[in-house]
Amino acid sequence: MEKIILLIPSIPILIALSLFFVNKKEFVPKLSIFLSSMIAVLGLYGTYHVIRYDEAITGFGGLVIYNELSAILVPYVAILGLVIRKYATKYMWDEAGYKRFFVLLNFIFSAIYLLVMSNNLIVLALAWQLMSISLYLLVSFNVGSNSAVKNAKWTMIIHKAADLVFILGVVLTYKTFGSFDLAVLSEKWLAMSASPVDNPMIFVIGLFFLIAAMMKSAIAPFHIWLPYTSEAPTPVSALMHAGVVNVGGILLNKLAYLLLLTPAVLNIAFVVGLFTAIFASLVMLVVSDIKRSLGYSTVGQMGYMIMEVGLGAFSLAVYHLMVHGIFKASLFLESGGLIKLARHDSNLPKRLTYELFWEEKIKGNTKKAFNFLAFFTILPVLVFVGVKLVLSDDFLEFNASIVILAFAWLTGTQLFLSFFKVSKADSLKVILALVTSFIIVLFTYEFVGLALERFIYGHDAHLFYKAATFNVTTVTLLATLGAIMLIGWLFIYRRHLAKEGSESSGLKWAFYKFLVKEGYYFSLLNIFKRDK
Amino acid sequence: MISTIAVFILAAGLPYYLLLERLSFLKSKHIFLISATLFLLADMSTNYIQNEYSTPFVIVALISAVFSVYKATQTTNFYKLAYYLFFVNSPFFLLFENEAAMYSISLLVSLTGIFLTGRFYEKHYGSANYHQITGITLVRPYIGTYLIFYLIAIALYPPFPNSLYFLSYIFNSDPSPLWFVVIITLFFGNFFLAMRVMKKTLFGRPNANIHYVHMTTGEKATHLFVVLLLLLLSVNGFKEVLL
Repeated sequence: MEKIILLIPSIPILIALSLFFVNKKEFVPKLSIFLSSMIAVLGLYGTYHVIRYDEAITGFGGLVIYNELSAILVPYVAILGLVIRKYATKYMWDEAGYKRFFVLLNFIFSAIYLLVMSNNLIVLALAWQLMSISLYLLVSFNVGSNSAVKNAKWTMIIHKAADLVFILGVVLTYKTFGSFDLAVLSEKWLAMSASPVDNPMIFVIGLFFLIAAMMKSAIAPFHIWLPYTSEAPTPVSALMHAGVVNVGGILLNKLAYLLLLTPAVLNIAFVVGLFTAIFASLVMLVVSDIKRSLGYSTVGQMGYMIMEVGLGAFSLAVYHLMVHGIFKASLFLESGGLIKLARHDSNLPKRLTYELFWEEKIKGNTKKAFNFLAFFTILPVLVFVGVKLVLSDDFLEFNASIVILAFAWLTGTQLFLSFFKVSKADSLKVILALVTSFIIVLFTYEFVGLALERFIYGHDAHLFYKAATFNVTTVTLLATLGAIMLIGWLFIYRRHLAKEGSESSGLKWAFYKFLVKEGYYFSLLNIFKRDK
Repeated sequence: MISTIAVFILAAGLPYYLLLERLSFLKSKHIFLISATLFLLADMSTNYIQNEYSTPFVIVALISAVFSVYKATQTTNFYKLAYYLFFVNSPFFLLFENEAAMYSISLLVSLTGIFLTGRFYEKHYGSANYHQITGITLVRPYIGTYLIFYLIAIALYPPFPNSLYFLSYIFNSDPSPLWFVVIITLFFGNFFLAMRVMKKTLFGRPNANIHYVHMTTGEKATHLFVVLLLLLLSVNGFKEVLL
């Protein structure tokens, strides 16, 4: 009975094929939504089965599997798909190619389900490629627009390169380990990890898969396709930012046991992830186009996700991609409503930060209120950290690095945001707002992340942390934290205490120009064009 | 050795279209038909004749393939594109010899689809040239859909058989430097050519100066037959690649 769950990837294809025979326009979304809600129900049933009986469901000769990773991701994708389809019902109504849109949407969802549920490298390769072509056709959905088609071309070139690198990785894996079956391979890799491995080919394989993941997840220097694809219909943008870019993280989770054997690849993942997170977050703050800004925000989040993988926190990457996906999808999907409101009220949309920090909305004794807030937020963190330190010896070795890096990164980004957007506001409120956001992140990361870790990897989870030998020491972390704080204070000093009208330094302008021009990425590409 | 040379020429290892294009009595659709027939003969002959694998021949075919990619980027004619693609894919045939038979058949079927699209354009728009016949996807979704199927197949994407056989052979062969060069050239060569056609005729704003024509029932049936043939090959391709 439970084997029926394994049919999930085929349901969207059946929907797409049946849509060809639907003549009435209003039946297109109805059929699509009805059948995709079946996927959500099946997915939830599958998750119940995996949790209840603590066993994976396999079928089709071991080609597909519904395991712990699928149990988390399939319902997530299914519910996301349902929301996107429902949203697209009215949003896309007047667009040319309404039926085509739903057909393509179903194809890409099929590819995502297949990718998540694959238990074989060849199936994974097929899903990987099917996703590339479906994405291309969706991004270039507005075929009459030259810029949409041009940007879709860039997307496709990077994805095609990712396909090739992935296929080469699969070929080398088969030649080295003699199997395509991921379950068999994972067992083999786990057994091999017990003793030191000295095979350069494993590093090459790991690197190929990492590069493929980087390309699909828009990690620098392959990030450029994502910020420029916002001309796609809004539901596609939501899907792209919430689902498609996450496949890099999903792939690395599927190959987690391979990466146990190649700590160097994990280290590379950490470095490129960190660089992408910082670079994209900074560019996000300075680009003038709001859609590109959102694109860079996603790039930054993907960098963070890859960084987590690089630290050995594979399950945290899964959690991160889901949380970010929900957040970013809701941002895109509510944009239409905000635009509609803005047409009636020229002051809309207002930012929450604007209302909170510029307009004095909070009545009464604000200082007292924030003291209470500080008491109820900082104290639990101190208790939490204290308990963790007493109970777990590994805290500083494993989790602390992630948590403190999360703090450093989030605080760093938001510090910049504060200075550029809410600089004249009450500093106490700003600081408390930042601390509150940090606490939310810390708590959810620690509790949900740990729960996911136990569910997906069980006792093997600690092996990944050990393999990620690029463990940042406590001293380095504190030094980094101190540097961030110093930079922050320097900004505060220059902003509030330095003399007004002083000339900005050339270095600062050079840095600003570097960010505004998105790292001179296109200038470099244009050199070849000019020569031509 | 003679049979190897014969197969090499039949399988489009040499760009003999350079010669055929100079003959005034041969039109591009005739060159396609000649190339397709010779390619089919090469494919069939591998079942009966044991050929010797020859690295120099593969290298020559590879150079010919790169040249054909260049030639294909210079044309907007469906017939020409169709026969150039035989020459682009020739190194794969020569590299994998007997094992590449099914890939060759898939290629032949998808190029037949391109050829039929060329005939449709020739019949309704005056020539098989797709230059300026833009936005087909929007105005004539049927021919747009069929063309997109053929181009996806040529660009080596699943679920079409070209991609499945391509993957099947490369997963079951031993990589060598020449292997890498051939695979990468074909992987991107086919892709760029297919994308170029998509951009130039499937996408874009519909041309207001052109009267776009619907497919007749007969044309629809012919294209449906080709697509079904491709899907049938896909079923076999899935078996080959997965089992």
